[in-house]
Parts: sequence; structure tokens; C-alpha cells
Amino acid sequence: MERTDITVNPNHHPARRKGLRLRRIKHIIVGKEADKGLLYRLFIYFILITVTYIYLKPVFYMVSSMLKNEADLIDPAVNWVPRTVYFGILQDAWDILHFPKAFSLSLMVSLSVACLQTCSCAVAGYAFARLRIPFKKTLFFLLLLSFIVPPQVTILPNLIFAGKLDLIRTYIPIMLPALFGHGFKGAVFVIIYRQFFANQPKELEEAAKIDGASVFRIFYRVMLPLAKPAILVVFLFSFVWTWNDFYLPSMYLTGSENMPLSLSISIANSTIQQRIAMEGPSIFDEPLKMASSFLSILPPLILYMFAQRWFVEGVERTGLVE
Amino acid sequence: MKGRRRLSGTTIQYLEGLLFISPWLIGFMFFMAFPLGYSLYMSFHNVEILATGIKTSFEGWNHYKFILFTSGGILYNDLIPFLIQSLMMLPVIIVFSLMIAIVLNQRFVGRGFFRGVFFLPVIFASGQLVQEFLSQGEGKLNFLDQYNISGIIAENLPKTLAAPIVSIMDSFVLVLWYSGVQILIFLAGRQTISGSVYEAARIDGANPWEVFWKITLPAMTPFIMLNLIYTVVDLFTFPTNPILTKVNTSNYGQSSALAWIYFTIIFLLLGLIFLLFKRVTSSRKTSA
Repeated sequence: MERTDITVNPNHHPARRKGLRLRRIKHIIVGKEADKGLLYRLFIYFILITVTYIYLKPVFYMVSSMLKNEADLIDPAVNWVPRTVYFGILQDAWDILHFPKAFSLSLMVSLSVACLQTCSCAVAGYAFARLRIPFKKTLFFLLLLSFIVPPQVTILPNLIFAGKLDLIRTYIPIMLPALFGHGFKGAVFVIIYRQFFANQPKELEEAAKIDGASVFRIFYRVMLPLAKPAILVVFLFSFVWTWNDFYLPSMYLTGSENMPLSLSISIANSTIQQRIAMEGPSIFDEPLKMASSFLSILPPLILYMFAQRWFVEGVERTGLVE
Repeated sequence: MKGRRRLSGTTIQYLEGLLFISPWLIGFMFFMAFPLGYSLYMSFHNVEILATGIKTSFEGWNHYKFILFTSGGILYNDLIPFLIQSLMMLPVIIVFSLMIAIVLNQRFVGRGFFRGVFFLPVIFASGQLVQEFLSQGEGKLNFLDQYNISGIIAENLPKTLAAPIVSIMDSFVLVLWYSGVQILIFLAGRQTISGSVYEAARIDGANPWEVFWKITLPAMTPFIMLNLIYTVVDLFTFPTNPILTKVNTSNYGQSSALAWIYFTIIFLLLGLIFLLFKRVTSSRKTSA
């Protein structure tokens, strides 16, 4: 984009040879093809590296500050790399979060919600994309509606009903909607699947139909195996978003013994805050917060590291939305 | 005979369709329609939760009147600044993610690595964590403070212009953090434009600037709209947003009314976006 102001017209140069050389230099700097010039490259890398720095800095900051011991924390000469690696803070964060318990609860909820949504939203998305349904347009409007209705509009009635059914402080109100293709951002997943299935060629279906396959068979045997990229994208989104979400748990699970990690962090933070109020600030407060944050994002981060390549490919192949 | 068979064929297709959609539909009834209706009902009532059950008494528009006119504090003190900030973040998020998506779509060394990094926000832009960073002062770009750029802008520009620019710059990192899914959507959108179109344009001697305005941008319009909608919904349902914390169980009726007012604002905003895009696309159709 920024290249337009450097327009060098080779015809302007009187000496042809000189012009040729200039052109070669120009090619190196601006590029023979529009987007291959040195200047453009530099610009791109500048942006990429800047943004990468902004994205990664908090992570580095978390890791670095939680591994410093007291001496390193006080010493202004120690900026990023601690002199000695100290695991005491991490240990404290582990304890204050009740990490093993909170971790397994988070894992249990996220995994089951992700599995349920991956399956149920696929069925709904397939119906929206390829099947004949009466009042399909109205239903699709309802799907969009459930996407834009903020959770705070429906949370109070849901809380009351959960209370009536004695489901408060359990995970059931969080997991049950996922079984039906709803739940946290469920509409987004249905839309992703719908988009994917709508893009599949019609011939596939017809060929299977001629072979005498039923709708269920076509869905299960033909369409679903093709939907691997969509499945991966939905599963990963669903898992990570459920893992990070603390709004629903904070509504349904307040006062419960069984907190997921996303809630445990805020509990841990308020514990630290209380301690500051009681005993005065300590040099370990900040690192402790960092360590607990780090522990809570570590599992999705590891998952992402493994799934990243397929995930990015999957997003492109699903044609996510059109 | 033939007609009857075809009719029964459609009926069967409808039945199959219904079978597939019914779990979702049942879910919609239970987790969407009914709660929505009930929350609307509660917003016009005083609700008391007793051990024996729920006691409601009719209030009419009183909750709405109270929030909108009597007590400014509930809505206006938090909502207006939040709304202004979101509205300003919106175009920045869209432009930034479009730019990044176009860049990430090109071939260059380290592309895989950068792609991996740029989707990181999708993973951990959870409310709690972003909040934590912001309280750390990570929301600002440090070099802006270092060179006092905000100060320079505030001095040299009229106040009405300077204030929004400064506030955007102060939360610029936030903009970057909120752009994860938007980049994905644009990247997926960019893939739908076939390479041959670009090749043809290049043979015709179009420069990249023209290619961007004449090919990429028009093809991306639906995705821009989609991203606008997604961003609005995302920003407004973010757990850290100030209105959300006000919707609590201390007063069911009033909280429901607040939630509905909030929902109406989102709805109006989305309606505006729809309208805008309808005009953009229809004007393109007539001009083409």
C-alpha cells in the first residue's frame, strides 16, 4: 500500500544504461512484482514483529516474573531473565488455585461441552444447510437471534429455573444446553457448520442417495467424515472458550466448592487482595497473580501448540463464513 | 398418482429435516425462547424469590423509567463511556484485522510462525486475563508514553478530535487483543477470492493499490459486515463489560429491564450496520 508514492518511471532517465541499473535497484527496493519489494517486505515485517511482540510480551512477562526469587525481583538490573530460576511462587499459585482440582474440573467441563457442541451443532448445521425444513427462514432468523442475544438477558430466568430444579452449584446448567446445540456461543458453531456443509457439492449427496443411503447414513458416512476441518475448528473454539469463560460459572457456581480454573483465578486474586489489606503489600503479590494466570492459560496454550497447524488450515478450508 | 408421490416425497423430506433440527429447536425453546420471554415478563414486574416460590407483582414500565430517567447512575455512567469506546474500537479492529489478514495471506518467510502467533488472542483473550494485563498497564503502548504522543496530540488538535484519538491509542493493545477471530474470518474470506482474478488484474497492469480497492475490498464487503456484527456482539457480551456486572440477582425485575435496554441498544446498532450494508451493496449493484 505504501509503495504508491514511489513511482519511478524508467523512461525519464536519459541514459539507457543508467536507467537499466536504476531499474534494477528499483526492482530490489520496490519489487518487480507489486508485493515482492524490499521496502514492502520491511514494512510487513515491521508490522508483524511489532504485533507479535505485543501479543507475546504478556506471556513472557508472566513467565519471567513468576520465576524470579526475592533478590531478582528487587534488583532493577534483572529485567527479563532471572539469575536463578525460582519455583516457589509457582508452587504458591498452585496451592492458592487448588490447581489439581480446579484443573480437572475445568478439563471435565470444557471437554464435555466441546464434545457435545461438536456433535449437536453439526446436526443442526447440517439441517440448516442441506435439508428441507418447514419455516426454514424463520428458524434461521431464530438462530441468528440466539447469536446476538447477550447472555445477560437470559441468565436470570435460567438461574431461577436452575434453582427450581436444584441444579445451582452444579455444572449441569452449563453442560445441558450444549447437548442441544446451544450453550456458550453455540449459535456460532451451528453457523460455522452450516457454512461448511452448504459449500459441499450437491453431487455427493445425490450419488449416495442413488445408492439408497438414508439421510442419517449420508450425514454420518458421507458428510461428517468430510467435515473434519470444521469439526476441529468447532472443537477447539468450544473447548477454549468454555475453558476461559467465567461468566456462566460465576453465575451458577458462586459459593460452590467446585470451582473451575477460570473462577479460581478471580478467587485467588481476591485472596491476594485481602492479604494485602491485612498484612500490607508484598513483593510477591504481582508474581503470584502472574503465576496463577499462567497456570490457567497453560493447558489451552499447549493444546493450541499441537492443534495450531490443523486449526489454521481448517479455518481456511471451512470457508468459515460466506 | 405422480403428484401424490411427489407430495409424499416432500413430506418425507420435511420429516427428515424436522428430525435433524428438532434437538436444536427443543433447545431453543428451553434455553432461549422461554428465558427470553420470562425475562421480558420479569422486567415489567417486581420479583421476589421466596422459599415457597416466586412472587411477582406488576410494575408496568416503572423499572424502565427508573433506569432511563430517574437513576442515571445505573445506565449512563457506565454505558455511555463504554459505548463510545466500543464504537471507536470497532473500525480500528476491522481495519487492523483486514490488514493483518491480507498480509498473512501472502507468502513470506516465517508465515507459519506469525499465523500461529496471530491467532493466540483467540486462545487467551478471556475476560479475566485481558483484565489482568490492563491493570498491569499493558493496555497502553509504552512508546506512546515515552514520547508523550498523547500530550502532543491533545495540544495540537481540537479537543473533540483529540480525545477519541487519545483514548483509542490508550486502549490500542486491547484492540489488538480483540481481533483474533476477526483475522480468522477475513483470512477465510480472502481465500474465497480466486488467484486468477489477481493474475488477470496484474496482466492488465493494475498496481497493488488498485487491486486492493477494486478487487480485494469489494470481495471482502460481506466479510466486513460479518466482522462488524461479530465484533459488536463480542464486545458487548464480553464478561468485563460494565453493564454485565449490573445484571445480577439483587433485583430480578430491574436487572431484567436493564438487560433488555442493553439488548435493544445492541439490536439497534446491528440494525444500523445492516442498513448501511444494504445501501452499500445495492448502490454497487446499480452502478455495475
